[in-house]
Order: sequence, then C-alpha cells, then structure tokens
Amino acid sequence: MKKISRRQFLGYTTKAGAATMFTGIFAPSATSFFGLGGVAEAATKKIKPFNFAVLTDAHLYDIKDHKFDTILEKAVADVNSLNPAPDFVLYGGDLGQSGKESELLKGKKILDKLKMKYRIIPGEHDWYLDMGKSWRGLFGDENWSFDHNGVHFIALNSILVPDFWTMKNLTPRERMGLMEELECHKCGLWGVGSKQLEWLAKDVKKVTPDTPVVIMTHSPLWDYYPRWNFQTYDAPQIRDLLRKFDKVISIHGHVHQVVYNEIGNIKSCGLLSTSWPWPYPPVDLPYPLIRQRRADPGDFEDGLGAHNVQLKEDFAGMMQWRAFSDLLPENIKQGLKV
Amino acid sequence: MNRNHKMMLASIVSTVAAGVLIVTSTVQAKPPRSDAQIAQEQALLMQAVAKGDGLWHDGSLGTNGLACGNCHPDGSASNPHTFPKFQSNLGKVGTLRDMINWCIMVPMQGKALALDSDEMTAMEAYSTFTHRGLAIAPAKDEQHGAIPVAGGPGYPSQ
Repeated sequence: MKKISRRQFLGYTTKAGAATMFTGIFAPSATSFFGLGGVAEAATKKIKPFNFAVLTDAHLYDIKDHKFDTILEKAVADVNSLNPAPDFVLYGGDLGQSGKESELLKGKKILDKLKMKYRIIPGEHDWYLDMGKSWRGLFGDENWSFDHNGVHFIALNSILVPDFWTMKNLTPRERMGLMEELECHKCGLWGVGSKQLEWLAKDVKKVTPDTPVVIMTHSPLWDYYPRWNFQTYDAPQIRDLLRKFDKVISIHGHVHQVVYNEIGNIKSCGLLSTSWPWPYPPVDLPYPLIRQRRADPGDFEDGLGAHNVQLKEDFAGMMQWRAFSDLLPENIKQGLKV
Repeated sequence: MNRNHKMMLASIVSTVAAGVLIVTSTVQAKPPRSDAQIAQEQALLMQAVAKGDGLWHDGSLGTNGLACGNCHPDGSASNPHTFPKFQSNLGKVGTLRDMINWCIMVPMQGKALALDSDEMTAMEAYSTFTHRGLAIAPAKDEQHGAIPVAGGPGYPSQ
C-alpha cells in the first residue's frame, strides 16, 4: 500500500473537512478544521463574560391565590437577588396551564417584576386553547434570535403537533384538555415544523462557526422519552443546522427535572419547573449522575427552582440549578460545567 | 341404626371423602374456568383500570385544578407495589389508599374518597396496573417512572 505523506494527509483531510462543512453531513468544528490545516489553533470566539437566568414551567391556573403563583413569585425574587445580576432572563414555556389568556396575563404580571428584561417562548399549555392567539398578543414572536456580548441566542417553538382535532370535531377546550395530559396518546409528537427550520437555516447562515450559541426550546432536542414528548421530532434537522458551530448550549423546559445530555457539539440541560417535579421516565439516563434526588411530596417547594447560567470569556459555561429545597446531589450542588 | 353403625358409616364416608380428595387434589379442586370466563374477568379489571385512569386525570377530585396525573403521568412514582410502608407525610405506616387520599386532600385540596368506594378501587387498579411486574424494593434515591408504555393508554381498551 502506498504511503501517504503527512502533507498529503493534511491536504485530503482539509478538503474533506471543507466539503463536509458545506454539506453539513459531518462538519468538524472550526477548531479541528483549522487545527488540521495548521493555520491556527482557533478556539471559540472570545466573549464578554456575563450571566443570564432561566425560569420555566409555572403552569399557572386561573384561580385566585393559587400556590403556583407564590412559587413563580419566589423564583422571580430569587433571580432579582442574584449577584452579579443576570443581564437578562429567558423563560422556557408553559407559563399557563390551560391556555387561558387570564393565566398568561397573571404570569406576565409576575414576570414583569423581574428587574431585567426577559424573552419568552411558548409551551403546549400556553398554546392549544386558541392556537397561540393570546400568547402572541401578549409576547409577540414565538421564535427569535439575538446577539449578546458575542453569544448568539436562538429560541424556537417546539410544541407544534399535526392537526389531530379537526377530524374528530374537538372543541378548543377538548383539544387543550388532551394536550394538558403529559401522556396524551392521541396528540402526536411535537416539533418546530418546516417554517421554523427554514427560519433557523437562514438565521444561522450569517453566524460564523466560531460564534458561541445558546438555543432554548420547550422540549429537549434529543429523544429522551417520546411517550411524554420528552423529544422534538425534527431535532435531528435542528442539530444538523447547528453542527457547524464549535459549541452549542441547549436549554429546555418541559421535563421539570435536572437532566443532561451531550450530542456532538451540543450540551443539553433540562430545567426545574416552578410547579411540580416529574419523575424520571423508565429509560436509562445518558448521564445518570447528573440528576436530582427524590422530592418530598410533603414539601411543596421541593423539586422546584430557578436557574443561573454563567458564561466565561472562552464560553466555558456553569449551569446552576437553584433548587428551592434540598434536591441536588453534591456533584451538581454548585453547578455543572457546560 | 345404632351408635356403632353410625360411627362405622361416618368412618367409611370420611375415608371415601379423603380418597376422593387425594385423587382430585392432584388435578383441580374445581373445574378450570373457561377462557371466556377469564376474558370476562380480565375485561372487568381493565374497566376498573380505565375508570381509574379517568379519575387519575380528573382535576375535579381537587379544588385547585390539579389532578393526580399532573405529578404522576402514566401512574409514575405512585409506587403501589411498595405499600404499606412508613410514609413521612402520613406520619405512619400507611396503605396506597391512604396515600391517594393524602394527595387528594393536601396537594389537590380536595375531599378524601371513601376507602371502600369503587372510585378508590379504580384508582388503586390504575396505579397497580401501571407498575405490574416491578419488584418490591426499598425506595431508591430518585423518583422513577412506572413501566414503559409504547403507545395507547397503557392498558387494553376499546
């Protein structure tokens, strides 16, 4: 067999690297691409360090002085007390429980007490009574992106299901009622849909691969437990579109629990709710040590919390689940490097 | 028949009875149930499970909108197979039915079901059916799901 010189090898791999970067089938990170070519040991672009907070899944009911109101208030106060103060807050969906405008309004009133600006995405509980009409009226776009201190933030509405109601002649309330059940087996799998995929492709086109990226969705961008929609059906396409980036931090609501996964360049963190914790589904966790402990049913704040994410200059992240009770094992009590 | 005759007869009867017992006990005490009977009994159980599923997801058992299913999808983490046990929120060794009523009364702020009601039996049937086959083991330090459900309601239904 003919020997391949180092120079030739580098030439081949660089070409292969360049080709695959364009096709997006297998794109090496910017670091490895430049590393192989010997041009520069390019790392992720430097950012101006900052922290941001995340809240999600308040599931507010249209009932006066409901206990979940108090817990969301507590989460808002917790975020307001953070030192250093977060630059902004992200909200991961399911502000309301049954899609009523009154629930969303109540939630907005509480979130408006945040000292910093916040951006929000919908969850299925916000959506299926009026197909997002109230939510859009109060909060605007369901998918968006912005740049902050050198990081590109993206958010998508991942709770869109194919129409299961028209054929069955369901009323809006009946449709919402089915979607309210986590284990609804008549509702189908969620995703972001082709329109948002097109939007995402366009959005990331202008962003260079060495840019740090944070993406927020309601549901996880990996197949965790589809039975409970702990998934996003078109997550593989989303991951393909994000593959060109050196590193992506994905944060998601919906699971009401600490859960972590890594797929390729994506580090994915599940969030605590401010309503109730969910048990781990009957599948193996990809990172079994990164999980919460059993919550005490007699302690209404156990299993719930807020979140703070610190990002350093080199985009090294520290994800902190700020549990309201003694929920976290020692290994993640201070946070998790992401 | 004098007393001796009576005793002799009783002795013969018991011997015959014992003989019959020995013979029949190696087969069946009763004739086996037909497949149709078994299917009917199973269908009745599934009716109770389905009724329990309905109640499990019925917010009207409480007064603050919450249903059992909010925290326990597919019956998860209700751990029926581990009861009776000491439950700190009950402050005693309690049964699954005690725990169901605690959840209705405290987190859901509703009215307890009668322990011998059809509703309570149905709730217990749903919780237990979603954990069928799981080993009785000391609680692990995490909340975990019931048995995996591939599709449908998780039990045979129409």
